[in-house]
Amino acid sequence: MSNRVAVVGVGQTKYAAKRQDVSIAGLLREAATRALDDAGMTWADIDAVVIGKAPDMFEGVMMPELYLADALGAVGKPMLRVHTAGSVGGSTGVMATHLVSSGAHKRVLVVCFEKQSESNATWALSIRLPFTGGSVTGAGGFFAPVIRAYMRRANAPDDIGIKVAVKDRLNALNNPYAHLKLPDISEEMVRESPMLWDPIRYLETCPSSDGACAIVLADEDSAKGTPNPPAWIHGTAVRSEPTMGAGRDVVNPHAGRDCAKDVYAQAGITDPRRDIDCAEIYVPFSWYEPMWMENLGFAAEGEGWKMVDDGSTSFTGDMPINPSGGVLSSNPIGASGMCRFAEAALQVRGMAGDHQVDGARTALGHAYGGGAQFFAMWIVGSEPR
Amino acid sequence: MKTDVLTAPHSIEYTYTRSTGPMIGAFMTGLRDGKIIGVRGADGRVHVPAIDYDPVTSEDLSELVEVADTGVVTTWSWNDQPRSGQPLEHPFAWALVRWDGADTAMLVAVDCGDASTISTGAKVKARWADERTGTIHDLCCCELQS
Repeated sequence: MSNRVAVVGVGQTKYAAKRQDVSIAGLLREAATRALDDAGMTWADIDAVVIGKAPDMFEGVMMPELYLADALGAVGKPMLRVHTAGSVGGSTGVMATHLVSSGAHKRVLVVCFEKQSESNATWALSIRLPFTGGSVTGAGGFFAPVIRAYMRRANAPDDIGIKVAVKDRLNALNNPYAHLKLPDISEEMVRESPMLWDPIRYLETCPSSDGACAIVLADEDSAKGTPNPPAWIHGTAVRSEPTMGAGRDVVNPHAGRDCAKDVYAQAGITDPRRDIDCAEIYVPFSWYEPMWMENLGFAAEGEGWKMVDDGSTSFTGDMPINPSGGVLSSNPIGASGMCRFAEAALQVRGMAGDHQVDGARTALGHAYGGGAQFFAMWIVGSEPR
Repeated sequence: MKTDVLTAPHSIEYTYTRSTGPMIGAFMTGLRDGKIIGVRGADGRVHVPAIDYDPVTSEDLSELVEVADTGVVTTWSWNDQPRSGQPLEHPFAWALVRWDGADTAMLVAVDCGDASTISTGAKVKARWADERTGTIHDLCCCELQS
């Protein structure tokens, strides 16, 4: 990257099934004002606003960014909207970083959101177009066979997904913003929950959440005056590939591996498991944790499930994954990637509260979307690089 | 060369939900009560319908103001062939009406018979629905005031 960029503010709403007390604009506003407060800034300090969200059909408001300028203090300023399906929360953070690293702007407000209670995402993802095949099963139906392929390929025990589901829900108990709070969670409870899309059980999937997440990015000069420690962005990367294609490895997508390789090179990371202290990765279905451990290079191919099995990815393990509770505990779809990026920043700022990983100085934020075909990642650190 | 074109019907529908928030919500609730509710902006202007955030300063707005259900036409256009779902089945004017006490205008149908009867500056009064439910349809249209 050219100019240094820091995360100087983070704001999140409480994630919940229904936030009927606020409009879409009010939901974004809540996260944005909290991020500005964290940054010690006001609307007037912001040079540009970048919005991210998943498909418009999730709320039935076409191009919602068109009416959000008032709510986000963007009148008379550049406002952009990013859309890369479920990875959008990550790619929006990356695009906004470029606005600062390029020198185009000094202080950029980034806000991502979803208000799932205004529609039904599984319906919106299951619409069959004429002359095309349709599974009519939503995201879970799409990813279930991919997970089965992984289990067979890696010869993984059946209960790995259950262990991830328990671990993330235990982590969520320490995150005041998390949607799902299941204090009695146990492997038995997950195992007994209904099978939705074999092998994905009800408690191995994410909730439907309303929520927004915002960050304030600043250049080096602007970051100096902020009240709380910054998180310095050491690298950003985005990669894409088609949904379908002969030879495409949907279990371990090429685009994900390339994206990780790129962001690690920028951040000077040669051994991710050694060099990264914790990671917030996009795991909407429990089995995606071991799968992404391999795709991201934390484990050799076929070995990712062992990191779950031996507790390495738990809060007290050597490679804590999703200390916030992750997507399995809160899923405001368009914001879910930004939550990962923001939570990674909170960790290296030492501001993660009860889910703070001791001594976290380097963290990975990760998001994926579409048919596991869009990837966005950043590495943040306590010190500038 | 003859070309066959594949065609198929494709319709999708879903009942979306809307949360209006505290200001738009106050406007909608006001309609149910036969009142028109605006909000005072940072520069003192009264915006109708009530809006959440100031268009100049972006600050939260909270000072709700009830304005009159009488006002003035600031501009208008004649609708000679109403379509289904529009406020009236016979020809009417679409007009921007600035309610007395407001500083901004909103779009309302004016039931005035003939285009020759309406003009910019004309005074109008709201015609309310008999049974009101808290939607924009509570405000049926406006009538000209002599």
